[in-house]
Amino acid sequence: QEPLEMNSHTPVPRSYDYDLIVIGGGSGGLAAAKEAAKYEKKVLVLDFVKPTPLGNSWGLGGTCVNVGCIPKKLMHQAALLGQALQDARKFGWQFTEEVNHNWMTMTESVQNYIGSLNWGYRVALREKSVTYENAYGEFVGPHTVKTTNKRGVEKLYTAERFLIATGERPRYLGIPGDKEYCISSDDLFSLPYCPGKTLVVGASYVALECAGFLAGLGLDVTVMVRSVLLRGFDQDIANKIGEYMEEHGVKFIREFVPIKVEQIEEGTPGILKVTAKSAKGSEMIEGEYNTVLLAIGRDSCTRNIGLDKVGVKINEKTGKVPVNDEEQTNVPYIYAVGDILQDKMELTPVAIQAGRLLVRRLYAGATSKCDYVNVPTTVFTPLEYGACGYSEEAAMEKFGEENIEVYHSHFWPLEWTVPSRDNNKCYAKIICNIQDNERVIGFHVLGPNAGEVTQRFAAAMKSGMTKEQLDNTIGIHPVCAEV
Amino acid sequence: MGWEEKQVHGYSEFVRTAQSYHGRPIFALFCGDKDAEGRSWCPDCVTAEPVVRKELHNMPDGSVFIYCLVGDRAYWKDPNNEFRKNLKLTGVPTLLKYGTPQKLVEEECFKAELVRMLFTED
Repeated sequence: QEPLEMNSHTPVPRSYDYDLIVIGGGSGGLAAAKEAAKYEKKVLVLDFVKPTPLGNSWGLGGTCVNVGCIPKKLMHQAALLGQALQDARKFGWQFTEEVNHNWMTMTESVQNYIGSLNWGYRVALREKSVTYENAYGEFVGPHTVKTTNKRGVEKLYTAERFLIATGERPRYLGIPGDKEYCISSDDLFSLPYCPGKTLVVGASYVALECAGFLAGLGLDVTVMVRSVLLRGFDQDIANKIGEYMEEHGVKFIREFVPIKVEQIEEGTPGILKVTAKSAKGSEMIEGEYNTVLLAIGRDSCTRNIGLDKVGVKINEKTGKVPVNDEEQTNVPYIYAVGDILQDKMELTPVAIQAGRLLVRRLYAGATSKCDYVNVPTTVFTPLEYGACGYSEEAAMEKFGEENIEVYHSHFWPLEWTVPSRDNNKCYAKIICNIQDNERVIGFHVLGPNAGEVTQRFAAAMKSGMTKEQLDNTIGIHPVCAEV
Repeated sequence: MGWEEKQVHGYSEFVRTAQSYHGRPIFALFCGDKDAEGRSWCPDCVTAEPVVRKELHNMPDGSVFIYCLVGDRAYWKDPNNEFRKNLKLTGVPTLLKYGTPQKLVEEECFKAELVRMLFTED
């Protein structure tokens, strides 16, 4: 590529290097790039991972593939298998030795799989003639980005249109010792040693999922929470999840915030001392842990990519990008998808769908817009939680308490009976809009395979299912979903 | 320093050779055996070999290229052969970077661009 001279007198070139430059090679970016290639567009994907404070980095594919959904679900599965081994004895399997877990074996297998996905994306892009550069992209002027690779080599590229899909990175607390000694989800899934006794700071689904599987693998886990669990999710369910985790060995420290992390002993893992202050008063507590995992939120990567140079407005407070219903920013030739979007659910399938539909509208004359309503989701805590639509609180606020009807039920999965597992923890509820034929506007299920159950329910909700239609659907027996 | 090539036949010889070069980048091309006239029973291997050979100069300095004949067609078709079981090979030709998940299988090996990407990817 020939570098272009840019100064304020150079007019924007009429013929661009690319039809589309995608900044960010994650779920949204790659889906859009591959779709654009189908319509024979010339596409460049820029993906670059700024190393974590502890020096960790990864390959092409974005958060989901490398440090999100994929390794999370695999480690959640590892923990479930540990539980299954315990249940197995009650079903007649005989093994006398105590069963232990090897962190390195699990992590190596998971990383190997991720490596094959990174490679697969490289091959897929190449085969579709999408150019990929492992370089940090930032806008320097109209229709122009500067890319910087890891050796510091800079190049300039122009394109007719741009798609920002830069995603997010974990937030740090801003207290002494946080970046030097704490890890985040960016480090956890490739940690080259067992984390040992762990303090998880945060009450997000990331915090609870990680705390959940670490405990399931046999580690001593404590969760430090500032206020409520799973803010934004149905609070009735969030509390049930917390109770379940507590009853199954996860310790919770409520209404405290860490103010200092110090290293007592070096090592892999070492020993860290955490000092925390009450969120409600002046009480202070201390604790010692091998590992401190911060999971207090994620920040959009929108502040250092030159958006000001091209006039793209972002929410200054949150860093999120407001877009219209066609994923277009305030600058007509610049679009955005994925976790950086304001007020949209931060999920891989949402980013993929938005990316694909956007490209079809741009290059294939399609008109379909991404439907962000009734998007199902699942939290993979030890007791899985699947949800679609309104939480009970949100439904009451939107429609009024007197206009909604909630139907709920506890259930006891057949598979849990023989090993005498909890008989009153699994739970399902639907929220119906009385004024609209008791249409189902919210679905929540807490139990095994929640994701599988919720996915099918989401399709029914999208079709406008009412309570009566649900009642008229005969159940499959014996499965959890029949409830 | 450049690179060097080792030709091996069969699974044990492959493993011994790969282990003896531990520490250096190792790339391996697995093909079906050749008959007395030097023709392989695997037509895709016949197509892929010249494409791969043309890109070998792109391998990093100090690399080892192992050209491995896996066996006859009957051996290869057996679902329990050691290449399938231990190296997880699913087809021939397979070109891979030993010790990593990076590989190209069958028609992927016909594409010079992909072969070059495998050799130069870091």
